[in-house]
Amino acid sequence: MVLSDQEVQFFVNTIKNTSEYDFSEYSEKSLKRRLQKILIDNNTDLIGLINKIKTNKPFLEKTVRDITVNTTELFRDPQIWQTLRYRILPKFAENSNINIWHAGCSTGQEVYSMMILLNELGLLNKAKIFASDLNTDALEAAKKGNYKYRFNIGYLDNFDKVIKENPYNYEEYNDVPYSKYFKIDKISDSIQINDFLRQKPIFRQHDLVQGGDLYFAKFDLILCRNVIIYFKYSLQNKVFKLFHDHLYTNGFLVLGMHETMLGEITSRFDKKGQAYRKK
Amino acid sequence: MYKAVVIGGSAGSFQVITKILNSLPKNFPLPILLSLHRLKHVRSGFVEALSIKSNIPIVEPYDKETIKPGKGYLAPSNYHMFIELNKRIALSTEEPVNHSRPSIDLTFETASQAYRDKLIGIILSGANRDGAYGLKKLKQAGGVAIVQDPKECQVKTMTEASLKLTNVDHIFTTEQIINFLLKIK
Repeated sequence: MVLSDQEVQFFVNTIKNTSEYDFSEYSEKSLKRRLQKILIDNNTDLIGLINKIKTNKPFLEKTVRDITVNTTELFRDPQIWQTLRYRILPKFAENSNINIWHAGCSTGQEVYSMMILLNELGLLNKAKIFASDLNTDALEAAKKGNYKYRFNIGYLDNFDKVIKENPYNYEEYNDVPYSKYFKIDKISDSIQINDFLRQKPIFRQHDLVQGGDLYFAKFDLILCRNVIIYFKYSLQNKVFKLFHDHLYTNGFLVLGMHETMLGEITSRFDKKGQAYRKK
Repeated sequence: MYKAVVIGGSAGSFQVITKILNSLPKNFPLPILLSLHRLKHVRSGFVEALSIKSNIPIVEPYDKETIKPGKGYLAPSNYHMFIELNKRIALSTEEPVNHSRPSIDLTFETASQAYRDKLIGIILSGANRDGAYGLKKLKQAGGVAIVQDPKECQVKTMTEASLKLTNVDHIFTTEQIINFLLKIK
């Protein structure tokens, strides 16, 4: 099923006119691919999909969820987590509290990675963890904190690199057992995050396109990883502005490995590796 | 007259790719878009290895980076690399295609839409069929389709699948590919 740019535009306009969602500033290539996948999965053509979207609100919501991409991992890109561990989080050690927002948290793996790291640093008690996503199915999965074991066996390597090893001191080795944070059950093929971590985050549905004040809070650290790659440059800049408004001065924004800030907004941050610090 | 070169291959074509890149002059006039399959456990170090002897800079691009001539853009590990109509890179972590992320098909197809008949596409040795469909799209858009001579390939699946699907412009050995690229003004 190959869609023309006009057909994608027709879909975007329909969603915009029938709901509060707006995909007009989503990156074209991946939006088209997601839409094609939705048509195949629903075994329908564009007209059929549009008609159902207009008359069936739950179906519209499901379509919006299916547009989003939910790839994530525990401690994805270990070097970023090493930077957080040794270079960023220690700066908050003297704070009386630490506010952290995972914007576009998907199924929650990085939310739990952060809490594990904070716990190892003795900072978990003073941290408030906020986590939001557009996709409510992903949020439900995040709250459960249950992941496939075999498919995600790389999580354990990442955990070792970030939690057990120290890249700045090869002689250091912290033999932290996995069971401190999650239960591995090979027979039922599951990794289950422990309850003391699951109970902590405040999960909320939130659409970065609509912006708005979700938590009525400011943050010391915002993580938004592999979310803005699905946005056009114009929307990326609006989102950066939103993050800027919600960060404390000297607060950090951490993006995905291949995401970067471009244009005028860069003057309002200092870039330190993968992290941006609000001036 | 050409505006870009797009190359697809798998981890096994590493030597051919380095040979090609190392032969290009510093002032090579086109951008080179590289979509290469990697071994699962080797996530980093590839771009450094390709850069060692290359005269042109090779980068793993950032999302929305503007494509510039005389530079190599390697699809980052675990991302699809699309080319947008405004000649910017767009990355995505959606599902693998043909068990591959990056998918060569996706880079070729989107590059064809961006560069139309001003694109040169080269498929090298590889172990799956990814790339064949993308090369077909490239040819349909008027681009120049080149496939490495299967006789030269250790693993022929990718090149043979491409030849089956598309009436290509050239079947070239590595030397011939290099000579072809060096003639571009």
